[in-house]
Amino acid sequence: MSESLLEVIDLKKHFRQRRGLFANLRGAEGVIPAVDGVSFYLKEQETVGLVGESGCGKTTVGKTILGLTGATSGKVIFAGHEITAMGGEPLRALRSSMQMIFQDLDAGLNPKMRIEQILREALTVHHRPSDAECARRIHELLDQVKLKSNKLSQYPHELSGGEKRRIGLARVLAVGPRFIVADEPTSALDVSIQAQVVNLLRDLQQDLALSFLFISHDLRIVELMSHKVAVMYLGKIVEMGVSERISHRPAHPYTRVLWTSLVEKQNREAQPAAASGAWGVFDFERPSAGCRFAPRCPVYQAAGRPAICTDAASEPPLRELSSGHYCACHFPLS
Amino acid sequence: MSASLLKIDNLRTYFYSRSKRAFIRSVDGVSLAINRGETLGIVGESGCGKSVTALSVMGLITATPGVITGRIDFANGTLHRNLLDGLDQSVRLSEEEGRIMDVVKDSGAWQRQSDRLQRGVRGGEIAMIFQNPKASMNPFEPVGAQIVEAVRLHTEHTGKKEAEQRALHWLERVRIDSPRLRFHNHPYGLSGGMCQRAMIAMALAAEPSLLIADEPTTGLDATIQSKIVDLLAELKAEIGITTLLISHDMGVIGRLADRVAVMYGGRVVEEGGAQQVLAGGEGNHPYTRALIASIPGAAEVRQKSYLQAIEGDVLDTINIPAGCRFYERCNRVTEAVRERCADCEPQLFDAGSGQRVRCWLFAP
Repeated sequence: MSESLLEVIDLKKHFRQRRGLFANLRGAEGVIPAVDGVSFYLKEQETVGLVGESGCGKTTVGKTILGLTGATSGKVIFAGHEITAMGGEPLRALRSSMQMIFQDLDAGLNPKMRIEQILREALTVHHRPSDAECARRIHELLDQVKLKSNKLSQYPHELSGGEKRRIGLARVLAVGPRFIVADEPTSALDVSIQAQVVNLLRDLQQDLALSFLFISHDLRIVELMSHKVAVMYLGKIVEMGVSERISHRPAHPYTRVLWTSLVEKQNREAQPAAASGAWGVFDFERPSAGCRFAPRCPVYQAAGRPAICTDAASEPPLRELSSGHYCACHFPLS
Repeated sequence: MSASLLKIDNLRTYFYSRSKRAFIRSVDGVSLAINRGETLGIVGESGCGKSVTALSVMGLITATPGVITGRIDFANGTLHRNLLDGLDQSVRLSEEEGRIMDVVKDSGAWQRQSDRLQRGVRGGEIAMIFQNPKASMNPFEPVGAQIVEAVRLHTEHTGKKEAEQRALHWLERVRIDSPRLRFHNHPYGLSGGMCQRAMIAMALAAEPSLLIADEPTTGLDATIQSKIVDLLAELKAEIGITTLLISHDMGVIGRLADRVAVMYGGRVVEEGGAQQVLAGGEGNHPYTRALIASIPGAAEVRQKSYLQAIEGDVLDTINIPAGCRFYERCNRVTEAVRERCADCEPQLFDAGSGQRVRCWLFAP
């Protein structure tokens, strides 16, 4: 058992929403609880997958962990340092061991720099290597992401999507991180390229002893990449456990809906609609009282709308069902 | 009634890149036919030309200096039209030593001719659903009003009240929740899934004979995707509308399409019945096979094994190699065919039961 590298305790991030002059004067201010009490931990060389629909707060979790946005409350402890209480130079120094891959392929690549400059900048931001050392590292990085060195003189716009992703990865690896938040690293790529990147990420994890927080809405990729999976719904983790368990015997109705919708989409004989109930929008500003998933929940409908699900005082807590398998539901599926 | 509703014959859509002084050959000789009542799926990776094919049919490739050649024959009832008729007359190429130096295009004449050809076809006979529903709707007008506009323009229900009734009917038809409320909503007030439903309602409201759905589920959440696919399947069963479905998602194609065409580098590399094409076995084009293999399957996920990636990158559509377009990335080249693969592009060979494969391995 390796010790935990990252620990997130009751992390909250509420965004404030301004609603114009008069509402502000009256003091009425909208608060959007993007992340509302998330706790989990990550061990060395482990991958935790974070799944959920868009808008459920998974990217915000990643950003808050790295201190890219300040947390409203809660703690993030990385390798013994409490990030949420840090700032300035110590945090900057710690950043060399935790990095983020952004969903947007171009996000980390300055369009006016050649690839070599981009990598050199990343190498020199935390350390001061000599020119020769720099050149050696650049080639080593290209090797690691399996790119040819003739790309060095090109500009980002000359690269294809897969190559951009690799350069983005090389840039992140340049600072020598132990922990990487990978935010939808494959969603902008084609399936054939996606497979290359997934294989590459797994190779890198082996070779460089990396830990990943793998954020994605692609359930199959998450299951493939991760040791543990956490499912988020409206800012909360509703189920968490070993990835095989989550995908094959989910306990939370939402997890099951997520998995079945993946299969249903492809199944010609599937019975449309019916089972999954009404599938309206969810309101972020005013999550329904009690269980947040209740308005969309098939189990809630089937059980005749039990009062406990919508009782404001009894929002289901994340309970341990069996060893290492947590679920936040009053009526977990067996 | 088995005649094709839409027949695309040797369509070439090239865009001219001034900086590179070369054509980007997005669609390079595509021939497809869509029969009445069937759903034809086009699969392929980004940049393979599937969307450009659809846009060429809709006459939505306009001002940019480029060339569209070939024929797109649309035939429904009394309407027979080649949607590319005479367009090439307003484009002039200047060549020097076999290299295209400039493309001069009379944009005005092109646009006028294209609009004349599309009159009564675009929106009316052929309707299109786009990938990004929010961006494809008018942000300043309520959703209902936009659908009413489509009804009044393209159907016999031209009266205001009558058209509103029809629009509401279609909103109900696509199972949007509280349609009367949504009728007065602006697009920004709808979620992505609802917007896509409204978009489908708008397309169907014109009572088209052909529906082009370009990546109808991309960009939506997994749960919403399956709902939209359910809806399309339901509409297909009930209305039986002829559909050209474009997607990179094999799952969606497999669920909805009757016939499938696989595109690579601007060409159709395989075409046939959905089941045969999506089998991804011995009887398929190496690209189709590799594409299907690269999707993580249940077994691979369970064993956490490596995915079978297709090495290399998508085809550069400016400098197209002489031989088979997939040769560089192909892992099924045998010594017997290697030379032909490298030097000579294969045609579509018959592989039995209506399936055609563009690969030398299938040469008789």
